[in-house]
Amino acid sequence: MNLIALGWLNPLVKFIVPFINRLDIFFKYNVRLIKNLYKPMLQGLQNTLIISFFALIIGVVLGTILAVIKVIPKKGILKKIFDFVVNIYISFFRGTPVVVQLLLFYFGVLGPRGYSPLYVAIMVLGLNSSAYVAESVRSGILAVDHGQMEAGRSLGLTYGSTMWHIILPQAIKNILPALGNELIALIKETAVVGFIAVFDLTRAARAVVSDTYDAFGPYLYLALVYLVIVLIATFFVTKLERRLRQSDKR
Amino acid sequence: MISVKGLVKSFGDHVVLQGIDYTINKGEKIVIVGPSGSGKSTFLRCLNLLEKPTAGEIWFEDQLITDKKCNINVVRRKMGMVFQQFNLFPHLTVLQNITLSPVKLGLMSKEEAKENAMRLLARIGLTEKANTYPIQLSGGQKQRIAIVRALAMNPDVMLFDEPTSALDPEMVGEVLAVMKELADEGMTMVVVTHEMGFAKEVATKVLFMDEGKILEESSPAEFYSDPKHPRLKEFLSKVLV
Repeated sequence: MNLIALGWLNPLVKFIVPFINRLDIFFKYNVRLIKNLYKPMLQGLQNTLIISFFALIIGVVLGTILAVIKVIPKKGILKKIFDFVVNIYISFFRGTPVVVQLLLFYFGVLGPRGYSPLYVAIMVLGLNSSAYVAESVRSGILAVDHGQMEAGRSLGLTYGSTMWHIILPQAIKNILPALGNELIALIKETAVVGFIAVFDLTRAARAVVSDTYDAFGPYLYLALVYLVIVLIATFFVTKLERRLRQSDKR
Repeated sequence: MISVKGLVKSFGDHVVLQGIDYTINKGEKIVIVGPSGSGKSTFLRCLNLLEKPTAGEIWFEDQLITDKKCNINVVRRKMGMVFQQFNLFPHLTVLQNITLSPVKLGLMSKEEAKENAMRLLARIGLTEKANTYPIQLSGGQKQRIAIVRALAMNPDVMLFDEPTSALDPEMVGEVLAVMKELADEGMTMVVVTHEMGFAKEVATKVLFMDEGKILEESSPAEFYSDPKHPRLKEFLSKVLV
């Protein structure tokens, strides 16, 4: 009686059992994949994070210095020389592909002198990023009201001191969204350092692909890892932005 | 205290100040009036070299500050300036606004500067605003704090560049009251303003400027009741009700 009453389940069972079987295969596939991926990816992740972090620091510090050089009021020949040098620097790093810069600096300049690929990757991405940061910091500085500089100077502060304590904090606040974007772009750009044999995330995934002849799984996981890093970075940038906006609250 | 000789300032071809000679003595309260574009603000801003004079000499406390060898940053510590647009630092609290300069220049320790700032804030009745940001203040409060910020450097002279022009009418009084108090204490003041009442009450001398020249200089009573220069007569007939 009971069996007859449950007869309507038959088609469902027919459908579910193979699905569970497939799920089982899917599950096993993922476990195997993660087993293969996890070690190289962890090592790659470490390098990716190291490169992103130090390149960002170089980018922001150097970019800010370049921006300040560009806005310092100067006269005559000195101004021409400074502007010329800074403009060439910025045009070079913004006007050529970062891969080309990596190849040039590693194989052409620094590699033969014994610098490690990781070091060259950090330098090149940092210098590259500084060119972009310089432009946004410069516009951030110019957006700060001129009266702020006058107020600082009228209190006896030097140009540099006023720039550091009064103008730059306001400028950085203005351009924090742009700097956040720069950080995200930088993290993603690190994917090309494999060109000079740095073992980063992408390189790790590629190694697994060439071992297993399976491209879809490793690259999908690779994409997922980048996405998670970027989301975490975005979270912190938003938080920092909110903190810096404290003085805007009424 | 401040001595100006043959001061000329031009922006490109446009000559704003055409040779000004004037001496300001200790304790004087000089009020400068004149139509817009007369060069009165530029004159004031030349006194602490916010504008670089094209020609002429400015002496401050026996020091030639227009000299290249003179360190203007040190001179400016003794010349407070108050701006039309207040120019408080929006990213710093009121207290930080006041203490920033004395502390960074190493003139006071953090504690001393804070104590000094709180004393100054108490004087203008804004102690409770010490930890708020400028955006939370009214225009009048901002300007009073800007004045106090300049005073925190213990200046010998205070320069006011149209301090009440950007204020709502009902806030003008509170700022002028602080300035009057300052004047009564004997502070040397140079004030560019349109506040005729303030000029009459506080000024020791009123200057009338037009087209980059000082056209008239007299006591406030005489300035308003018995103007000599035809341009001043015309000006007063237009501004005074």
